[in-house]
Formats: sequence, C-alpha cells, structure tokens
Amino acid sequence: MSTGTSTGMSTRAPGLSFGGELRSEWIKLRSLRSTLWCYLIMVLLMIGLGLLLAGTISAPASGTPALSHDGQQSTWVRIATLGVGFATLVSAVLGALVITGEYGTGMIRSTFAAVPKRLPAILAKALVFGVTTFVVAFVGLVITALVSAPLLPDKGITPDFGDGKVWVAVAGGAGYIALLGLLALGIGLIVRSSAAGIAAALGLVLVVPIILQILASVTRAAWPSNIAAFLPSGAGSKLYAYPGAAAESLTPGRGGGAGSAAASAADLITLDSWQALLVLIGWVVVALVIGGILVKRRDA
Amino acid sequence: MIEAVGLTKRYGAKTAVDDISFQVKPGMVTGFLGPNGAGKSTTMRLIVGLDRPTSGSVTVNGSRYAELKAPLREVGVLLDAKAVHTGRTAENHLLALAATHGIRRRRVDEVIALTGLESVARRRVGGFSLGMGQRLGIAAALLGDPSILILDEPVNGLDPEGVIWVRELTRHLAGEGRTIFLSSHLMTEMAQTADHIIVLGRGRVIADAPVATIEAMATGTAVHVRTPDSERFAAVLTRAGGTLTHPEPDLLEVTGLAAPQIGELAAQERVVLHELSPVGGSLEDAYLALTQDEVEYHAGGTAAA
Repeated sequence: MSTGTSTGMSTRAPGLSFGGELRSEWIKLRSLRSTLWCYLIMVLLMIGLGLLLAGTISAPASGTPALSHDGQQSTWVRIATLGVGFATLVSAVLGALVITGEYGTGMIRSTFAAVPKRLPAILAKALVFGVTTFVVAFVGLVITALVSAPLLPDKGITPDFGDGKVWVAVAGGAGYIALLGLLALGIGLIVRSSAAGIAAALGLVLVVPIILQILASVTRAAWPSNIAAFLPSGAGSKLYAYPGAAAESLTPGRGGGAGSAAASAADLITLDSWQALLVLIGWVVVALVIGGILVKRRDA
Repeated sequence: MIEAVGLTKRYGAKTAVDDISFQVKPGMVTGFLGPNGAGKSTTMRLIVGLDRPTSGSVTVNGSRYAELKAPLREVGVLLDAKAVHTGRTAENHLLALAATHGIRRRRVDEVIALTGLESVARRRVGGFSLGMGQRLGIAAALLGDPSILILDEPVNGLDPEGVIWVRELTRHLAGEGRTIFLSSHLMTEMAQTADHIIVLGRGRVIADAPVATIEAMATGTAVHVRTPDSERFAAVLTRAGGTLTHPEPDLLEVTGLAAPQIGELAAQERVVLHELSPVGGSLEDAYLALTQDEVEYHAGGTAAA
C-alpha cells in the first residue's frame, strides 16, 4: 500500500461522541421553524383552554354542599390539564416530523454519513426531543395552573399550591405529551414519510379509540373498552388525573372511550397511574425498537 | 485510499453494481466516469455505508466506514446537494454536522468562507440554487478536514467560475496527499481534473487507467483527407472498404482505412492531397467508444456516426 494516506489530518481532534450527537440533535431541533411553531401552539392551547374552562365553570348553586378539598383540587387539575389532549396531537405531529422531515429532505443521508452506526443518532434525537417536549409541556401546564388559579376562588375552589399531588398530575400530563411524541417519532422511523407518520400517529390517538367506543356501545361488551384502556390515549389519560375524587370532578373523563353504560363496571379494567405509565412506555419502546431494527437494516 | 473488492449491489432484480474491484489512491484525483445510471452514485453510497452491499466489501483507509472512530475527519462526502433539510439555514446545517464530531465553530466559518457562502449562510437552504446547494455540500464534505474526499457530480449546477474553483480545489487537495474521488458523466471535465480514471458502465468497471492511457485507447480511429478532387476520391475510398463522412466540400473523414493505405490509393489514382492526417482521439471519443455498448438507454438508437 502507498504511504501518506492520512498525514495526521485525522488524528489530532476529537472524534464522534454521544455528547456531540446530543448537541447536534439539539441544534437540529431548535433550528427549524416547525419546532418553534409546534411548541408555541402547544403552550398557547394549554393556557387558552385552561383559562376558558376556569372562566366558564359555575360555582355550586347555593344550598348544595361545597366541593371537598380533593374535589376542588381535582377540578383545578382538570382545568390546568384541559389542553393535554390537544397538546398530544401537536407533539405527535412534531415527533413524526422530527424524523420524517429528515427522510423527506434527504438530510438523513448527511446524518448517517456523520453517524454511520445510525442508532446513536436516533437515540440522541429521541432523547433531545423527549426531554425538550417534556420541559416545554411541563412549563406550559404549570403556567396554566398558575394563571387559572386567581379565577377559581369565585367558583368555590381554593387552589392548594402546597398539594404535591397537583404537581405530580401536571408532570404526568407533560410526560404523556412527551411519550406520545416519542411514539410518533418511532412510527415516523418505521414509515419514513411525514404524511404517513402523522396519519398513523393521529389515527392511533384519535380514530382507534372512537372505533372502540362505537364497538363498545354496539356490542355492549367490556372488551372494546378494555382494549381502549391499553391504547396510548387510554393509558395516557390516567397519568394526569388527580388521584381519587374522580366522581366529583366538574369535567368528564377523557380518552379511551371508556364508560360504556352496558358493560358492568366489574368487567372493566382500570389501570393505576404507574401501570398506565408502564403501558405507555411499552408502546414507545416497541415503536422505537422496531424503527431501530429497520433503520439498521435498510439502505438510507 | 479506498479499496473495493468484488463489490455488488442489487436492488430487487436490478443489479446496480456488478462485482467491481478497484483502488482509489492518495495524492491524486481519481475520476469516476460513466453514463447516468451506470452505478457511480450507488458505489459512492456503498463506500460510506449508506447502502449495504449485496456482496463484496469496500474499505476506507483499511476499515469499513461504519467502524471509523471519526468518520467526518477521515472521509468527506458530497453525495448529492439535496442531503440537507430545506428548513434549516446553511450555517445551522453545518453546525449540526460539526457538533457530532466536536468540530469547532471556527472550522464551520472557515468552510463557509472557503466555499463562498458567507452571504447566504444565514438563509434557509430551501431557497438555494443548485449551485449554492453544491457549495454547501462541498462545505459539509470539507468540515472534518478529511484525508479522503468523495464528491458525486460536484460541478453539477455550478457556473463556469464554480467549475474552475472545484477543479483547482480538488487538484490542490490531491497535492496535499489526500485521496480525491470525483464522479462525473462529463468526459471533458474529467480530462481537465483527473489523473486517473475509472470508467463504469452498467455496474461494471470498463477501464481503470491513467488519463493518458484512456486517451490513447481512442487514437487512430479516423483519418482526415483534404483534396480538391473529393468526389472522385470518395468513390475510390469507399470501394477500398473505407467508411466516409463529408464534413466540408473538400474534406473527407475516413474510418476503416489507415493513413498509409489512403496515401497509396491517392498515388495510384493520381489524386492531389492537401492534407492526410490521423485524427488524435479525444478523451470524449474514448469514453463514447468505451461506454457505447454499456449505455442502458440510447437516445434515438444511433449514438455515433
């Protein structure tokens, strides 16, 4: 072989590192307008919907008993997290775009030329997106809880800021938003097209629960509702509920299409919040693992 | 040094690269030449591990690309100008790539200046012309100051000034001892840039030789005959087995007969000759001759007269 192949040009400086890949993905995430728009819309939706609900609920009529402490806290949490459902749709769109945007534009080839083992780049991307989305969603939900609080004493609700369970529920809502975004990222990794990725992710969150709800009311059986409880939306809805006192909440429970009047309550599966968290993490892991295997095998 | 051994890539039933072996050596510009669809881009993607070979292997500086500790510092690659997110600015694109390898911002500014992108660095890539896209792709390839540079059709879309710039840049980098592997479907461009040429046709290596050798392959194919008596002499030459074209009233271009034979015929027939000269084959002719049978889709059927 001839000499002088790499005349010291490639040895003096640092090489590829996971820290560098994380920084790279952070630069990528914050340098796209779609990211800024999605996060802005997410936070505005949370605050707007929270204020809307806080402003429009009515105080209990005179003569009826006041809400218990838990009932008041639960209502406050409901108000603060009203935007979570919509926020998950936004984070699903963004999560899919974060990866399918690279496939659509050809950027993925630059990414994989820089990180030829590929999986570290995907992992870095998922981490950066997941953490950023969690932080943005958490901040948005905390702001919503704080700005809606002054409207509540008129409605017979006295927010208790020292109640840790409120902030756990708020963090749970942010976690649900981030995990659903990651699920969409995994789906995007599998399908590689923005349109297909967004459609699949939103279909799973929006359409499948409705189909199950219809099935539940037609068949009058418990199984459609039980399946729905394990869907991302069904499990996610358990993450941001104020524990206990659900019956006293002023807004109806959301997600999953649970609550078929026909199926007896005993047959219905109800997940605890920690179980729901595991179910949701399971969805994310399965999608990312399938996506990761495909990424490793496919030509880019 | 890039080394391919028995490299093969099939997409379904179609074989894009068919059992090719070659070496690209440091210190020179190696041209990778072939008609569109010959498998040049596929080969380049195989080198940097974006596509997985069906069989065979290819190494850079002795290792598989995916096993390099710092791929961007060893190999710079321009695959196509579109491997960029259109919504990001050129500067952020380069910063994101640089970050993976801990390459400093100063180097990003350097390659921006080197490729003449200062005025558009903060604009989003979606609005770039093809030429600016190529410059950005070259900037990205140079980020890690690599010892191997792989450029797929780098002059595509560049203005004449840009073409000369790429030519001088690649010659300069080769002069520093780097390995430069440059693809093109334009023979004339290669003739001015490359030291060594690998010709690819339908996924196979047709020729792998220094530029001079490739040029020599095509010499002596035609003879120019200038005579005031062209009508009569044309008939004579045709009878003797020559194939003629008649580009000017007193000029005949003869193939199938060597110059001495034509001279003897002229003496026998007492035809006055003003010129009798073998035409030195250009690289373009050599290329056409080499790839004529390998072009997948002929335009109109007849490629050459």
